[in-house]
Amino acid sequence: MAEEKLLLLKNIRQSGYAGDLAAYRKTGGYGAWKKVLDGMTPAEVIEQVKSSGLRGRGGAGFPCGLKWSFMPPPGDRPSYLVCNADESEPGTFKDHLIMMKDPHMMLEGMMIGCHAMHSHHGYIYIRGESPKAIRNVEKAIAELHKAKLLGKNIQGSGFDLEITVHPGAGAYICGEETAMLDSLEGKRGQPRFKPPFPAQSGFDACPTTVNNVETLANVPFILTEGPDAFAALGTENNNGTQAISLSGHVRNPGVYEVEMGHNLKGIIEDFGGGVRAGKQLKAVIPGGASSAILRPEDIDIPYDFESLAKADSMRGSGSIMIFDEDTSIVELANRTIRFFNHESCGQCTPCREGTFWLKNMIRQFKDGEGNPELLERVERAAGNLIGTTICAFGDAVGGPMQGFVRKFPEEFLKQSVG
Amino acid sequence: MGTFYLEDEAVEFEPGETLLRAALRAGHEIPHYCFHPGLAVTAQCRQCLVEITDMGNGRGMPRLQASCSTPAAEGMRITQTSGMAVEGQKLVNEFLLVNHPLDCPICDQAGECELQNTAFRYGSGHSEMAYEKRVYGWRDVGSFIVLERNRCIQCSLCERFSRDIVGTHDFAAFLRSHELTFDTWTDSQIAHKFQGNLADICPVGSILNRDWRFKKRAWKLQKTNTICPGCSTGCNVTVEQHQNRVFRIKPRTNHEVNRWWMCDEGRLGYKILNNRRDRIVEPLARVKGQLRSAEWEAAEQAIAQRLEEIGAKGDAVIALTDTHATNEELYLLREFLSAGLESQTLYFPLDSGAQQEQPPRNLEDPFIYSLITTDKSPNTHGAEAAGLSGDRDASQVKAALKKKPRAVFVLGAPFADNKEVRDLAGKAELVVVIGAFPGEWRDVADVLLPGFTHAEKEGTWFNRNGRLQRIAPGLTPPEMARDQLTILASLLAAVRGENGKEGENKGIRSAREVFAEMAEAGGPCQGLSWEDVGEGGIEPGRVGRKQSA
Repeated sequence: MAEEKLLLLKNIRQSGYAGDLAAYRKTGGYGAWKKVLDGMTPAEVIEQVKSSGLRGRGGAGFPCGLKWSFMPPPGDRPSYLVCNADESEPGTFKDHLIMMKDPHMMLEGMMIGCHAMHSHHGYIYIRGESPKAIRNVEKAIAELHKAKLLGKNIQGSGFDLEITVHPGAGAYICGEETAMLDSLEGKRGQPRFKPPFPAQSGFDACPTTVNNVETLANVPFILTEGPDAFAALGTENNNGTQAISLSGHVRNPGVYEVEMGHNLKGIIEDFGGGVRAGKQLKAVIPGGASSAILRPEDIDIPYDFESLAKADSMRGSGSIMIFDEDTSIVELANRTIRFFNHESCGQCTPCREGTFWLKNMIRQFKDGEGNPELLERVERAAGNLIGTTICAFGDAVGGPMQGFVRKFPEEFLKQSVG
Repeated sequence: MGTFYLEDEAVEFEPGETLLRAALRAGHEIPHYCFHPGLAVTAQCRQCLVEITDMGNGRGMPRLQASCSTPAAEGMRITQTSGMAVEGQKLVNEFLLVNHPLDCPICDQAGECELQNTAFRYGSGHSEMAYEKRVYGWRDVGSFIVLERNRCIQCSLCERFSRDIVGTHDFAAFLRSHELTFDTWTDSQIAHKFQGNLADICPVGSILNRDWRFKKRAWKLQKTNTICPGCSTGCNVTVEQHQNRVFRIKPRTNHEVNRWWMCDEGRLGYKILNNRRDRIVEPLARVKGQLRSAEWEAAEQAIAQRLEEIGAKGDAVIALTDTHATNEELYLLREFLSAGLESQTLYFPLDSGAQQEQPPRNLEDPFIYSLITTDKSPNTHGAEAAGLSGDRDASQVKAALKKKPRAVFVLGAPFADNKEVRDLAGKAELVVVIGAFPGEWRDVADVLLPGFTHAEKEGTWFNRNGRLQRIAPGLTPPEMARDQLTILASLLAAVRGENGKEGENKGIRSAREVFAEMAEAGGPCQGLSWEDVGEGGIEPGRVGRKQSA
């Protein structure tokens, strides 16, 4: 079995690591935070994160330092950092692991981010289906308060910071950053149109940055070891490591940390131990349910943002789902579209109506009543969802649905009349 | 002020303005449902997608953009006719028809439905949606409107109107995805007086005016731009009729008066216009206690003769008018009194015109609540401006009537709810009532002369802010009725004994002619022409009036 490249999971992989504040500090935790309080300016921190090349791990891969630099200088409105811990993309569970086993790494990153963006209040939006993670993060925050690492005038630095955990109520769409902000404000979670971007008008119409759990957990390393150490990992434009959620028909499902750009096939075989016994690989969904499916012959590629985009799919949240020969692609498409239809917030016409229509069409294939014309219709309707909605949900449905019918037309036609 | 280009045509925009808003303001058409100029933007229907071929920096956008939420930029070039843009509009239309029922033949919105227009333009005439649609059924949600949720296209305008304009939060979004529905909370009925606006802004036939439902196809209606007579606000409206029967009254946008809105009381004003039962349609004269129909000539002659007999002149004559009368009618009424009968005694009921409805607390812009006033007549300000004597509690009128005038002239139905005034007036030897709906004045009148309603004549009114606005005729009056201006001019001629030969003019002038006289005579209309007033009225500043609160 190949070696993991441990940065995010380095503590978690230590046997007996308790994950509490004392244990985290023993590994040098909150060293970066101390460094910041001891005199790094917000601009310096942002510069370091920028030059590290850290990209958002939530799905879009937007450069983190650049995002931070969009925040306006402190003015009359407060600014906020919101940590996206909704992790609702099917197949994704790496943030959950971090929150359960090493929450302080994320919290330290978040505190540094708040300082860099002059924010005195951070929110962590955790999906309501993960009560254990909510409790664990709340416990970690209580520890920080007790140790006077959070609160007023932290360690005499003059910097005040509070962090609040906000549980979600079970909507996939609330993982979309602006829907999350609406939800956080107590409204129905619906994505907002942009501009204005959250950095201009986000939570409570104030400057806001939303970062994923894993993204923030990378920040302490960048500040202690230096941006160059981070940039040395991975490939060009895809620096650092990534926590992969590996699931499906593999021998060893789980979360694995590898360098960015690690070979996809290698991840499945070296870490996942390959497809379960005696079965052939049929398909791979490489980046969560909203990424397009790949055939076995397409997976010998580096696992990073650009390479997967080139393969007409996406890295997304780093969730690889493996399907063996026993899988019905039609049933997979059916499950996928049922999920997306159920989770569409309904505000945009293409998504609201398109997911409903697609669900009905896929259902027809599943019932053995499809036909080649219907397959074309599915592809067209799916294509019409791409780029026509307020948020990326349309793309997240259209892409994978197109992928299913383009990559596996024979599966659909097999279940057709005539 | 900047410029962008829509199909190579220059469109000017204000800083921060969106593409759609600027384009619509300039008179261009871009199909849209969820955008309303008076409501917050949500960009959710996606029908207004356009292709931006140049963002103003030489580069285009790879994907279609919603023109309602994209700010215009200098030099931007957009198109809605490129292949990509047309595809975008088609696909949104196709998606909308996935669940929208094709029940146009029984839908009252048909004919004025943006969805129908877009489907007609882009639809294939053949549906590829071969599955059961979601079905909700209709709901009784308010006294003035009904909700047919199957037709809803989830534009959320009703929710935004309820939240931001009336502040009552009646409508909310329920469920999600294709089941998303905008509905009221089940146990409450909408109670505010602005429900009709919900039917107006609903882009499809989902929210419908209860009164208008199933009555008439929209395309049969002929519309006349006029003013609502329901109160002193003077909302700009259209009276919409077919075969001389009014089916509805709808607001006409005027940012100086009513913006896009009007109240339900005003909308219900259509009913009186169809009322023939309470209307006098021919001259009536009291003979031995009974009202009998009479010829116009004979009635006028009889009035002149009777005035002569009883020696009604000067202080022995008083006139009462309501302020549904136009400025022109008031002008001629005064002329008739002074030139014909040497009287100056003229009263009208005066109302403070206070705001009738109170907005909920915390409503940021309670403008709509200012629309309904307690003064239920449209030209109180005009009577004041003409220097007539307003009477708040009828005390002056009663005092004058107690001096036992010989003749009383009544224009319209003033002090209609005051029996004492009517009884006192009835004691005069001659009571002449001019108007369409005399109400209980009928009981004391000696002669009734049938006039026109506001929807049958021309004229001007001053609203409570002193804004001068024009009314216009959209209906044909009953055959025997006459314009109040004609009645007053003819009476003057009769009193003066100038009846002349058949067909002679007798000093009869149209509203425009009287207005021109008024403009020359000085006063509030000084120097204005009929065209100056226009269909949108003329602002208080230009009329030189001080604004009342």
